[in-house]
Amino acid sequence: MIDFKPADEETLLLKETAERFVADHYELALRNVMLTASAGRRPARWAEMADLGWLAAPVGEDAGGLGLTPKQVVPFLSVLGAGLVLEPIGPVAMHCAPTLARALSSTRAEAVLASVLSGESIELIAAGPAGAPVKAGREGDDIVLTGTIPLVIGGAQASVFWIVADCEGVPFLVPVPAEKVWVEEFPLIDGQSAAKVSLQGARCSAADAVTDCEEALAYGNDLAMVGKLAELTGLIDRLYRKTLDYMKLREQFGRPLGRFQVVQHRMADMFIKREEAQSMVDMAAEAMTGEDVALRSKLVAAAQVKIYDNARAVLRDAVQLHGGMGVTDELPVGHMVKRMLMLTQLDGGRQAALGKFRKAA
Amino acid sequence: MTDLLNSAEDQAFRQEIRDFVSAELHPETRAKVSRGAPMTRDDFARWQESLHAKGWVAPAWPKEHGGPGWTARERIVADEELFRLHTPPLPGFGLKMIGPILIQFGSPEQQQRFLPRILSGEDWWCQGFSEPGAGSDLASLKTKAERTEGGWLVSGSKTWTTYAQYANWIFCLVRTDPEVKKQEGISMMLIDMSLPGVSRRPIRLMDGTEEVNEIFLDQVFVPDDLVVGEINKGWTYAKALLEHERFGIGGIGRSKHLLQRVREAAQSTGRADDPEIANALDTLEIDVMAIEATTLRLLAAVEAGVKIGAETSLLKIRGTEIQQALTELMLDIAGPAALPTRDSVGVQEPFENAMYQFLNWRKLSIYGGSNEIQRSILATQVLGLK
Ligand SMILES: Cc1cc2nc3c(=O)[nH]c(=O)nc-3n(C[C@H](O)[C@H](O)[C@H](O)COP(=O)(O)OP(=O)(O)OC[C@H]3O[C@@H](n4cnc5c(N)ncnc54)[C@H](O)[C@@H]3O)c2cc1C
Repeated sequence: MIDFKPADEETLLLKETAERFVADHYELALRNVMLTASAGRRPARWAEMADLGWLAAPVGEDAGGLGLTPKQVVPFLSVLGAGLVLEPIGPVAMHCAPTLARALSSTRAEAVLASVLSGESIELIAAGPAGAPVKAGREGDDIVLTGTIPLVIGGAQASVFWIVADCEGVPFLVPVPAEKVWVEEFPLIDGQSAAKVSLQGARCSAADAVTDCEEALAYGNDLAMVGKLAELTGLIDRLYRKTLDYMKLREQFGRPLGRFQVVQHRMADMFIKREEAQSMVDMAAEAMTGEDVALRSKLVAAAQVKIYDNARAVLRDAVQLHGGMGVTDELPVGHMVKRMLMLTQLDGGRQAALGKFRKAA
Repeated sequence: MTDLLNSAEDQAFRQEIRDFVSAELHPETRAKVSRGAPMTRDDFARWQESLHAKGWVAPAWPKEHGGPGWTARERIVADEELFRLHTPPLPGFGLKMIGPILIQFGSPEQQQRFLPRILSGEDWWCQGFSEPGAGSDLASLKTKAERTEGGWLVSGSKTWTTYAQYANWIFCLVRTDPEVKKQEGISMMLIDMSLPGVSRRPIRLMDGTEEVNEIFLDQVFVPDDLVVGEINKGWTYAKALLEHERFGIGGIGRSKHLLQRVREAAQSTGRADDPEIANALDTLEIDVMAIEATTLRLLAAVEAGVKIGAETSLLKIRGTEIQQALTELMLDIAGPAALPTRDSVGVQEPFENAMYQFLNWRKLSIYGGSNEIQRSILATQVLGLK
């Protein structure tokens, strides 16, 4: 049973904090300054994010987290996504930390996560394209990793990569300190920092490898996806509202654009798309707590397809209805569009999502 | 890709163009165009020189003014072939906009002074129509020209002015009579951009380029001999400007070029046999064919003496929709490979420009009369829904 109850107190509080954070630190002009500032440094507000408990939100209390449900974290992540924050909150809080909390033994999880959740150490899950494991070889007690991971968000700021690897068909997770690999930073289209990670024969001790982690990896991938869908939903909502405001404000032919029926219908469609996105992300978040893994994956994939489609449609119309203003870098619109494109492209787009939907029993 | 224009003469003409391009096009420019990279002024200027030397730079101009004397059909073939061979599409502000307007409405002195320099590329023109408050409703423009000894003093601001940073001349619509119906108080003037009172602010677009600008005009003096045609007839000339290229606005050559690039990208990454990608590519190829067939049918009607009016709006609407769909398909094929910024170490070929092209080409359905406005034109002027 998927429950669609409205958000509780705790959820709203977290959301309000996020709104304040965005208002204080992510005004467009300030953000532009951050984008042009020197690369490679620590994410600007990481410590603050850790203090607010954001990095620990969806991690179980036994592993040192806050133990919030996915549904409770969706609204605040939506705000951060719509607010265009640049710190790799999703990759850490929604992907790496919860995956490790499930994959590691409880003592190891607690030890490892302590510095991650406190913000001291930025650790990331890194896999090959489409989440495929990286090839690994065995030499005595060592594991040798080869190949290149083309795109890891936040990679240049990470101190440890948890590499998803595969040795003779057995998948495992192994931590590699950033010093052991070759990390090249580059900006993504939306301004976030990413890195290309060349493993170049990095060695690690087989004793550090975590096997039997498939369930945790699958859970972590689904949860990370819910995080990205939350961001997308927040962006769809904000873009819809911005466009709606503009249609009331901008006048041509002696009246506000919103008085033209064509525009009204386009806005009504955008509203429908926003509502659908909101429902689907709630559904996916709820599915995360269910026992039925196949159903969980299917519902997350379904939300992914729908929200990708709606994001594309909304961004197309939002740009179009803003006219020339929509294609500039001077309004938040253009920046939101790029963030949405980044989020929808990252995991291979709608076709990959449909494939996942079909595969889930 | 199937060419609909493939008679023996078409084939021979295509061959002539191929020979010319292979001798003249700079390999560096060719490589850039084939990858969808942005053009510099030099890329354009170099190619314009070659076309000009050959007499092909202004396909639609009459022979006596320096055009090649091509038929409408030959122009389509040439456009298609030049795109296919990865030549840079020259900006049309001089060659396709003010040039034809001066040929039609300019004084002999204006023609002698400006036309040769447009052909050679010595002058670079930009278009000063849109204003912050006058986009779709262009006729409400406010830049005003006030009468002074021997000419006019022009003040106001223009915006979205493409390539103004390269231009030394701007043709502007300005209000010369605020008292009459708004379309009837507009004139067209030619303004030297080096004059005092002309200033420019670049506008950064979301793809990071600075191809458009704001232009501020503060008491700029325009002598009477730089007014185009008659005072207060500017709206008529502006409409005529759009008429000149109306059978070319489907952008068939441009669509085919992108289709070819998307196909190659699919092939080189092993995605061409993926049934979804293959279906999408074929569907878009057929869409282009439908626009080409429609263009040819409308042209044939014109040749047979039928009057074709605002019907050509459909070419703009569908042409730009197809081109935008192609940029989206490129993104679908690229997946995360479209995300690294170009020129960064993260680049994944052949997708380094895929995102930029998607972002940049959103403009196609906005400028030159947005697709909403074009649909209104079809509905009112062709369908009679008023
Ligand atoms: C990249 C770029 C380059 C350009 N280059 C030039 C140039 O070189 N020179 C120049 O003069 N101009 C140029 N333009 C300006 C262009 O012509 C205008 O952007 C265009 O006319 C739309 O005006 P606007 O941007 O003010 O949008 P608006 O007119 O404000 O329209 C906003 C949205 O509302 C829609 N809309 C408006 N009216 C209606 C209606 N009645 N019914 C339904 N929908 C409606 C529009 O279609 C659009 O989607 C350029 C624009 C761009 C984006």
